[in-house]
Amino acid sequence: MVVVQRRELTFWERMYLPEIVRGLVITFKKMFEPRVTRQYPEQAMPTTEVTRGQPRLAVKDDGNIACVSCGLCEAACPAYAITIDGQETDRFIEREPERFDIDMLRCILCGFCEEACPKEAIFMSNELELANTTREGLVYDMEQLKRSTSTLQPRIDYVRKINDRW
Amino acid sequence: MTFLILLIKASLIYGGLLVTAAVMTLAERKISARIQLRIGPNRVGPGGVLQPLADGVKFILKEEITPDGANKGIFRLAPIMAAVPAMLTVAVIPFAGETVIFGLDFGLLSLTDLDIGLLFVLALSGLSVYGVILGGWASNSKYSLLGGLRASAQMVSYELSLIMTALTVVALSGSMDLREIVEVQNTGNPLAWNCFTPVIGQVGLILFVIATFAETNRHPFDFAECEPELVGGFHTEYSSMKFALFFLGEYCAMTVMACLTTVLFLGGYSVPFWEDAPWMVELATFMAKTSFFLFLFIWVRWTLPRFRYDQLMNLGWKVFLPIALANLLLAGAFISLT
Repeated sequence: MVVVQRRELTFWERMYLPEIVRGLVITFKKMFEPRVTRQYPEQAMPTTEVTRGQPRLAVKDDGNIACVSCGLCEAACPAYAITIDGQETDRFIEREPERFDIDMLRCILCGFCEEACPKEAIFMSNELELANTTREGLVYDMEQLKRSTSTLQPRIDYVRKINDRW
Repeated sequence: MTFLILLIKASLIYGGLLVTAAVMTLAERKISARIQLRIGPNRVGPGGVLQPLADGVKFILKEEITPDGANKGIFRLAPIMAAVPAMLTVAVIPFAGETVIFGLDFGLLSLTDLDIGLLFVLALSGLSVYGVILGGWASNSKYSLLGGLRASAQMVSYELSLIMTALTVVALSGSMDLREIVEVQNTGNPLAWNCFTPVIGQVGLILFVIATFAETNRHPFDFAECEPELVGGFHTEYSSMKFALFFLGEYCAMTVMACLTTVLFLGGYSVPFWEDAPWMVELATFMAKTSFFLFLFIWVRWTLPRFRYDQLMNLGWKVFLPIALANLLLAGAFISLT
């Protein structure tokens, strides 16, 4: 059994009104403190390279993506959000995706695809906003997923650093 | 001509009251936001100043729902009963002394100058509790009924202290006419204001302000609403404009009570160190004093937690009433001595 030891209130505290005034003073001071609200659409959420946003495909300098449509990300995806159809190509890598769709409504932003990728083709970007009026509009195809390497560079460096640990 | 003057006065005063009520809804949200380190509404108009307008439009466009078991007639009557008395009481408040606008002599800037102005205000503000009780009962919902019951018990117990404290002022001023009460205090010396009468004035002011909080159902005494326990209290079942009317009534009552506190204790429209100030200065002084009390209403709401119901009753009957009575007695002694 717990016996709560309550402090005996002083006479001043039992008068009640002085304590109310003290509370009022505190709230009045609060009115002049800096405010913490972020005005979202105008002031976007700050992101870092650790931010795990929506997955995007990194476009290399020659305009191609590194993906060889091995299907590892497709297999790693716990939400079955990724669909890949491969095809042959004359380029050195021999295979490339014909179709690379990510259903952003299924994607849970876990980052397993990024971890699974052996070719440094897919990365978690810092893009967080996702809105559309139809479900179909939120199934992103290859063209919508492509981002230049430069925009993804902080994340790419971060992933390399993490992967170098083991 | 007198009719025209009356018409202008009426539209000015009622327009002013309704605008004040609208501004209060915005101020409530802005100040609460400030206190909680938020920004508050800022999307409608510059800095959110048109928010009350947007709220009004929204209220009108909402669906009106009448519960199945509700007593339809009384259910509709209740919001009116809540709003009208609060709006009527403003008729006797003197906002400024002799007023002349564009050569038109308006006389005292109040709608009527009743001999028993204070009695009129107290009687009507006592009526506004019926809106709450009837609304709570007619909704046919247990939460509403509980809210209505609480409101009735609370208002009856605090009305007594309110009247006792008002009587103290009547005793000090020797009149129930609000203009007379102001004129007695309007000597150019702010020390003549009732709130500076030694002991009696300060105790009276504090009691009166707290009693007005209970009377207008404001925090920390808003048992009629009491969201965590009673959903929405008496207005749980109300929607659309009916709901808005309750709030209009509440904010109008707050405004009137703030005006009344100013008149009774802070010398109404009397300007410090300037006995015969022009009406505009007097009006501005009155508004400044009233705004302080309106700000206090909001300030206290966002500072204090709600009382417990039994604490409220204890405070009303065992603390406030005896102090108010003692204060009245003291005032009597004070008058017979001076």
